[in-house]
Amino acid sequence: MQTQFQRLDGMRRAVAAGRLPGVSPPDRTARPPFAPATSDMLFPTLDFLLFFLVVAAALATLDRHFAWKKAILVAASYFFYAQWDWRFCFLLAGSTTISYAAGLLIGGSEDPRRRRLILTIGVALHLGILGIFKYLDFLVLSANQLARMLGLMHELPFFEVLLPVGISFFTFHGISYITDVYRGDVTVCRAPLDMALYMSFFPQLVAGPIVRAAYFLPQLARPSAEPIPVAAALMLILGGMIKKVIIANYLATGLVDPVFAAPDTYGGADLLLATYAYAVQIYCDFSAYTDIAIAVAALCGFRFPRNFNQPYRAQRLREFWQRWHISLSTWLRDYLYKPLGGNRHGRLNTYRNLMITMLLGGIWHGAAWKFVMWGALHGGGLAFERMCQPLLGQRSTSRFGKIIAWLIVFHFVCFAWIFFRAEDFTVACVFIAGFAHGWREPVQQAQPAMVALIVIGLAGQFLPPSSFERVGLALQRVPYWGLGAATGLILAAINALGPDGLAPFIYFRF
Amino acid sequence: MALTRSERAPLVTDAIPPSLRRRGANPRQVLAICLIGAIMVAFLASRDTPGWAERLGDSWLDHRLRSIAGGWDGAMETLRLTDPHEALRAAMGRALDWQWGGDNR
Repeated sequence: MQTQFQRLDGMRRAVAAGRLPGVSPPDRTARPPFAPATSDMLFPTLDFLLFFLVVAAALATLDRHFAWKKAILVAASYFFYAQWDWRFCFLLAGSTTISYAAGLLIGGSEDPRRRRLILTIGVALHLGILGIFKYLDFLVLSANQLARMLGLMHELPFFEVLLPVGISFFTFHGISYITDVYRGDVTVCRAPLDMALYMSFFPQLVAGPIVRAAYFLPQLARPSAEPIPVAAALMLILGGMIKKVIIANYLATGLVDPVFAAPDTYGGADLLLATYAYAVQIYCDFSAYTDIAIAVAALCGFRFPRNFNQPYRAQRLREFWQRWHISLSTWLRDYLYKPLGGNRHGRLNTYRNLMITMLLGGIWHGAAWKFVMWGALHGGGLAFERMCQPLLGQRSTSRFGKIIAWLIVFHFVCFAWIFFRAEDFTVACVFIAGFAHGWREPVQQAQPAMVALIVIGLAGQFLPPSSFERVGLALQRVPYWGLGAATGLILAAINALGPDGLAPFIYFRF
Repeated sequence: MALTRSERAPLVTDAIPPSLRRRGANPRQVLAICLIGAIMVAFLASRDTPGWAERLGDSWLDHRLRSIAGGWDGAMETLRLTDPHEALRAAMGRALDWQWGGDNR
């Protein structure tokens, strides 16, 4: 049930480790190449620049025609999505139709039982689609393993379903809309164009952030009167490009991919630095995507919510989840944790609800036991933290206490990332076992440039929170032609500094 | 569309703070900024255009684009606008080659 990207990505890792017959391991002095992505329509590409120029030209021409502007954005979004596989556009349209119809039916009914039935059917349809495309072969594999354990000879066939890019994200959009209509938290969307744009808007379509209907649909009701925050948008684009093209890509090819491909051939120092490197890589990769998505949406005249807030400076695991992938963690809180009962029914039920929420959050990332383990670690960690709350008390005010709290949380998160990143559960265990020996072996992959990138990536977590705003206010005084020229100049420099080829974003596979 | 209670109350924080939303541009100015930026990229990052064109398909237009991209890169090289690109790549290559103990590969 792999996407072509996953297969290519696995192949790239195998090549890096020299595990493919007839393929030599790469020359480590050469600039690391990337396998071609399934689509060239990634943010840091010339294709996307050309695509966005066309969209910007259309929006500038249709500035006073809001309905046409929305229609152009829907068409552009479907064109964008079709670059991966045009057949998936029908899936997106189907998901949109389910959400739209369920919203209308729920909104048009006064009967609580009927409303509840429609909600159940709507959510079940969305989850059914997600389940077929994302989890069917995992369930077949698990069933076959169970059958073998029970001594049964018959095995179920695999379906080899191709995973549509971004299916989890538009499924979550659909479920949140139907649920919010049922709860009365959002007005029923009667305009099919608005619903189509909410479900398909291209900046967030393939990797989020998850934008709530209550947040986005009001923006489609009438044209925004506020100016487009160009300085902030350009800052987000440039920051995102540096994080993705330079930091994440080099850490991936230079350190993380080779070490995770064959952890038994590396010493403790390489393993430890590869763990830190992956923590920085996944942050830089994912936050880069959402930063650029936020900026592109802003340039189109729409607001997006914040998705990351310096997560690695958290001093509590709970705080980490208030700073990491905020749109997913709040989604899980509002549509899973709270409906399960949240913290309203005693301590034991609270721990159980935390565990269930994080386990399902883990499985959301993929159909594999390593994601189950990752979710279980975070669920267990959150429950343990809550259990120890009376002992831990309020946040430490001493510098020493803050540093200790930060160290514990950061290393716990890094430990959990090992399961998240490893090829499978067994490789993760081999990786962790490697920490027990080989500390005197010379460093192979974690050379100075890699360590510098880790330090730079982590240093960004400790910048004053107001620094973005301060720089943005200063840039607002620069004339527009200067902003455009400076952005082009910096983009060209990033392009020169980055590795050759394309590297898809990590979260495209979820 | 009337706003409900939940719509009025912000569920989440806007990614771009309000202070940075007070001043800005209109869509035409955004287009102008994007065009200026794209022109800068076209002049200073021409080294990647032949590689980009190679990934295109096999139609008559794709072949024509490949020819244009190669010609464009050659023209930028003649104007020495590819020098900053080459210098940055070389510097990055040296940084990546640097090893512990000062032993460069």
